[in-house]
Amino acid sequence: MFLNPAIWGFFFEGLRQTIYIAVVSVGLSFVVGLLFALGRLSRRRWIRWPSIFYIEGVRALPVLLLIVYFGIKGSALFRPIFGEDFELPRFWAGVLGLSMYTSAVLAEIIRAGIVSLPRGQTEAARALGLSHAQTMRTVILPQALRLMVPAMMAQLTTVIKDTSLVGTIGIFELLRQGRTIYTQFFNPVEVLLIVATIYFVICFALSQASRRLELGYAPTAARVRIQDIALRDQAA
Amino acid sequence: MPGAIAFEFPELYFTGLWLTIQISVFGLLGAIVIGTLVAVLRVSPIAPLRWIGAVYVEFFRNTPLVVQLFFLFLGLPLIGLRFSSDTFENIFRAAALGMGLYHGAYVAEVVRGGLLGVDRGQIEAARSLGLSYVQMLRYVQLPQTFRSVIPPLGNIGIALVKNTSLASTIGVTELLFAAEIVESRTFRAEEAFIAATLLYLALTIPLGFAVNALERRMLVAR
Repeated sequence: MFLNPAIWGFFFEGLRQTIYIAVVSVGLSFVVGLLFALGRLSRRRWIRWPSIFYIEGVRALPVLLLIVYFGIKGSALFRPIFGEDFELPRFWAGVLGLSMYTSAVLAEIIRAGIVSLPRGQTEAARALGLSHAQTMRTVILPQALRLMVPAMMAQLTTVIKDTSLVGTIGIFELLRQGRTIYTQFFNPVEVLLIVATIYFVICFALSQASRRLELGYAPTAARVRIQDIALRDQAA
Repeated sequence: MPGAIAFEFPELYFTGLWLTIQISVFGLLGAIVIGTLVAVLRVSPIAPLRWIGAVYVEFFRNTPLVVQLFFLFLGLPLIGLRFSSDTFENIFRAAALGMGLYHGAYVAEVVRGGLLGVDRGQIEAARSLGLSYVQMLRYVQLPQTFRSVIPPLGNIGIALVKNTSLASTIGVTELLFAAEIVESRTFRAEEAFIAATLLYLALTIPLGFAVNALERRMLVAR
């Protein structure tokens, strides 16, 4: 049956969904994560505290819980905005669950990157007459984000692994497609090995690339701190 | 009061919580044992052993935990391996073993870092005093890694507690599964999931504090 091209087309369709949902989630998480990272570094308490609450609260939760919650209640949450008949597509319920978690992790990674830059950078920029916002935008963020690229690529592998969870709310990603195939042909061992191999090839390539990549200058202490954050959230 | 629904369905939530705790404990113990063994393989002087260790780590870290759980749950019985004749015991053990195997790969990386951090002079001194390689590991190299691996190990522990929720996908009625059952009975999704959330936090937050406290005590002790 593995000679049948339709089977491979089926796997490929799943892989396409997996990559699509991972890329959309990471893109969304990056924007939201950046906002929360800046929020947590803000001097205003009414911005800082909610940011800390979001980041620490969400990071302490299982991703699957968030995904299942949005799978069940996603539509109802948006009905006040989009009208009574609104149905949240499953794809977006999955993206929401994944992004909520990933944004909290990326916020921590971005914050670690910003904090690890030498103080002199901020002081010099401020002394030159740049405002706080200008300092962030033109001096701090470009350096910090370059520092973050490897950690973020590593996070992308985590997100790709986590997409295997959105099958539980009915998105036909790689694992879910595989499950459909083995319920049809009663061959879970072979199918799961193929699915695992596909995940492995993508994630291994990405994690190797992220290890090779070292952009910009990072003090060792900062690297260790970032790795520690990554460790807690990558095992997820 | 948020989370009060847990007391309306105590048999679901608290047995769920207890299963979550059990899987976490067995999983973490398994991960530490597997991780230490694999780490020792990864720093061993024999190249093929190092390769086996590396393959283990890369394979388990770069495939999703759910895929591994499905494999243990569905695949192994088909090739003649069953953990127990009792269905419930069977999925429970598959889940605990899955947690151990997956997080073991992360533990291995942490312990390996610790082993490589031990000063070379220590190893050479132990060897020249006539200790065998295994004795040197047992009495010199491994004990010295203990201190440096505690904080990252704590982080893996927190990740593991959260990841036990994936056991629901193979049918273990742990905390998340309990919340899903309650939701489907009552349609009170917010309450059902907030109760589960609070119970997860009740496990992960103290764990986080414990790790921080241990870390600080070790800083002082040094």
